[in-house]
Amino acid sequence: MARQTIAIKASSRNEMGSKKVVKVRDRGRLPAVIYGHRKDPRTVDFDYHDFYEAIHHGHRLFDVDIDGQNETLLVKDLQYDHLGRRIIHADMVRVDLSEVVHVTVPVVLKGTPKGYSQGGIVDQHLDHIVVECTVAAIPEEIDVSIKELELDQSIHARDVKLPQGVKLLSDAELLIASCHIPKKHIEEVPLEAVPMEPEVITARKPEEEQAEETKEE
Amino acid sequence: MALMPKRVKYRKSQRGKMRGGASRMNYVAFGDYGLQALETSWVTGRQIEASRVAASNYLQRVGKLYIRIFPHKSITKKPLETRMGKGKAEVEQWVACVKTGTVMFEIGGVDEALAKQALSRIAHKMPVRCRFVNRRHVIG
Repeated sequence: MARQTIAIKASSRNEMGSKKVVKVRDRGRLPAVIYGHRKDPRTVDFDYHDFYEAIHHGHRLFDVDIDGQNETLLVKDLQYDHLGRRIIHADMVRVDLSEVVHVTVPVVLKGTPKGYSQGGIVDQHLDHIVVECTVAAIPEEIDVSIKELELDQSIHARDVKLPQGVKLLSDAELLIASCHIPKKHIEEVPLEAVPMEPEVITARKPEEEQAEETKEE
Repeated sequence: MALMPKRVKYRKSQRGKMRGGASRMNYVAFGDYGLQALETSWVTGRQIEASRVAASNYLQRVGKLYIRIFPHKSITKKPLETRMGKGKAEVEQWVACVKTGTVMFEIGGVDEALAKQALSRIAHKMPVRCRFVNRRHVIG
């Protein structure tokens, strides 16, 4: 399903710099920057709750009313706090709905592979790919069916069926998923063979110490 | 066998301070699910090894466990009933400095219920409060 635009309000922001932006966040606002279309970048803030709810529900395309001016914006980047719970900043890029953009789209594996019955496991090596498409046609996710995946087979980026109007930009040879037998457990090294103390790079060798002692004498 | 570095530049280190949250290693990067520290603390090599054993016993070689922390820092301790002074004591243990938000362990190739159980066993071996986290999709 292609992205839908969601309307949201924003206001211009004059507070810049990490210390001032903390106060913006304390007021329940989310600082953001808008750029693109060869216009000057603009600092704005959104209502945190509205923006978070929209992102949480999968929206990436916004119809933003900035102090009476309307702009269509695409989320380019989100910054999270150290716990990954709260969004602390958003990068938004100006777009037209008919414009062709490069976006990162998540890859989701669907189905149970045939290789499971033979004792295999599936490794997902890549969870996103970069595609080129119009803004209105950005897919929410790309489903990759792994039902036909047998043991020792793999799926590459070139094998992914993309929706109409979407072109792959990532390397076609990138490995997305593979089905294989899990590797055997590697035996642990016995205790005697492992040194109990690490080697010290800067430690003096006994010859050097002896030489120093003779010099002192 | 507790974890420790193979080679170090200096055997003993100063204690240092751990201020603020983790500005890196704070998201799931390799597996599908992770265990995130909610407090700042030293995690010893023995604790990391104990959690590895607990998780691998539970997982029975299913999936893959990623250990993202390593005890690089040496901690010294004076023997009991010793007078102060006479230089810095001998190394007693090796620790990893874990800040709030650090994703310490990750699991891939298993379903969520199994990952939760395995990571909960690890959390019991940790000296910090932990939480279970999922992989965050890349936006952009």
